[in-house]
Amino acid sequence: MKTLVVASGKGGTGKTTLSALFAHFSSQERPLVVADCDVEASNLPLALRAEVTSREAFAGSEKVVVDEDLCSGCERCLDSCRFDAISILFDGIAQVDEWSCEGCGACATACRHGAISLEPCQAGELLGGECSTGAIVFGQLQPGQDLSGKLVTSVRERAKALAEAQGAELVLVDGPPGIGCPVIASISGADGVLAVAEPSLSGEHDLRRLVTLARQLRVPVKVVLNKSDLSAEAAERLRATCREEELELIGEVPFDEELLPTLERMAHGDVSEAKPVTDIEESPGVSAARSIWERIENWLAEPPQARPASKALIQLSRTRSNGS
Amino acid sequence: MVAGDQANRLAEGFTIAVASGKGGTGKTLVATNLALLVARSGVRVTLVDCDVEAPNDHLFFRVDARTAVVEVPIPEAPAETCPSGCSACRDKCRFGAIRILGGKPTIFPELCHSCGACVQACPNGALRERQMRVGEIESGHESEGLRLVTGRLDIGEAKAPPVIRAARRAAEDEAAELTILDAPPGAACSAVATLRGADLLLLVTEPTAFGLHDLELMVELARALGLPTAVVLNREGTGSVDIAGYCDSRGLPLLARIPFDRGVAERYAKGDLLIDSHPEGGLWFSSLWQAIKSTSARTARETAA
Repeated sequence: MKTLVVASGKGGTGKTTLSALFAHFSSQERPLVVADCDVEASNLPLALRAEVTSREAFAGSEKVVVDEDLCSGCERCLDSCRFDAISILFDGIAQVDEWSCEGCGACATACRHGAISLEPCQAGELLGGECSTGAIVFGQLQPGQDLSGKLVTSVRERAKALAEAQGAELVLVDGPPGIGCPVIASISGADGVLAVAEPSLSGEHDLRRLVTLARQLRVPVKVVLNKSDLSAEAAERLRATCREEELELIGEVPFDEELLPTLERMAHGDVSEAKPVTDIEESPGVSAARSIWERIENWLAEPPQARPASKALIQLSRTRSNGS
Repeated sequence: MVAGDQANRLAEGFTIAVASGKGGTGKTLVATNLALLVARSGVRVTLVDCDVEAPNDHLFFRVDARTAVVEVPIPEAPAETCPSGCSACRDKCRFGAIRILGGKPTIFPELCHSCGACVQACPNGALRERQMRVGEIESGHESEGLRLVTGRLDIGEAKAPPVIRAARRAAEDEAAELTILDAPPGAACSAVATLRGADLLLLVTEPTAFGLHDLELMVELARALGLPTAVVLNREGTGSVDIAGYCDSRGLPLLARIPFDRGVAERYAKGDLLIDSHPEGGLWFSSLWQAIKSTSARTARETAA
């Protein structure tokens, strides 16, 4: 069983659009499980019109509760908190700001009166369902909660277990934007990262950061240039970046005004109007994505190979040792 | 007196956070163009790039920047003072960042929240903290006076919020009449670290089902944080979702509409600001700025009343 993560440093490059198309192509050949690891704003369930069949509470970090009867206002908790989450107001009782509190419990240890306890709290949901391409797993973090990486890990574990149970050979992950904790959780241990880049100065800058991360985590990475005809100049620069970084540019998808309305109609559930993605063969974006998907399947079928440390990784470790 | 109210608020320092749940809706486009447009009118403006995982504001300006390192404290247990067999630090760590291997604590910095609970819990006073680099802050002025502060998370580091908070602190080193925070996409801890304390939250969205879904999440977050909120609709014409209707139903002012045209995308791709390169760019952003001023003056009046 293989895990492929569709990722991008920059948001809005087309991860979900391409993930939806790839899931569709793949499901026509053999069963797969799709997972949306953007737990802060998951859009793949919308694009694939997922019907939720299971919901499970996701416990986040614990939150601090102060027993007003026991609190003496001694301020020991205040001194122990590194997040400026505690204040002592006029009534002499510790108040905890839930947005700043990370649930570390330092204040509970510091309190001599047993006035502070930690209580579990729900931070989101782990959801499972059925969609047009088969099983889907995704997460929804409540707005403002932390530990998105932990929820991402739960989504991936659930998707993997489901794939094993169903005999599916592929988990296709729609990843979150960025390079931080949820991205690290999404791509660690995956078999491949497909970096979706758009031809812009920002797109190129953010691609470099994502590729460095993937290589550091020793996950093979290839690039798709999406909306490739939006800027000829920026597209050419991106191709040059790929050559320079010894990155395989696995394909290019032109900007296709048909793609978004199709996905959107799917998302609305307006079946009468929704042309299934397969019915728009003539659309340049769809046929480009289809031939890219064939190349990806060949890539995933290759036996894994040990890869040498990249130039970027060597440079990174050098920076690190200078920095510390 | 609308103008007077606004002048007072500006003098005290007004902070606008530009955010969106979905990535790629145009946060950076709005933040960079608005920042320079206002700076040109003689207002002291600081633009803070809080998208520390993918900071792009600096690509649009030539800034002679100073760099400062962002570090966080991470515990370490020297073998000589840490007795075998104790697990007090591990037991107190709620993030699973300490494991006892061979009778001694092993620290996993990528899981550590730098809270210090383990140091406090150690009965032998054995745990110490060392500073570990997680990112950097660049700050400087571009030629027309706009100050740019960029937070940048080191590649391979997991936790963006300490770098975001450091960027916001660095922004406060110099007084500004207007501070614009360019937020990371998403609605979790990085968004909270950016948005808290802002005077106005500007949510950028696109007229698609995805844009609306993610906008709703951000509005929920904004309500929970108690932030005055307004919306900018970008790429009008690319989708069919009625964002204006949604804004109406939620009582959210829709302050600007930027149409989709390939010219916008091409200029953005090259790193050109619309206010300088697009025939309508100046108009879009000066009307946005006017709308922001009257909206926040109204909010201030309502709060006062």
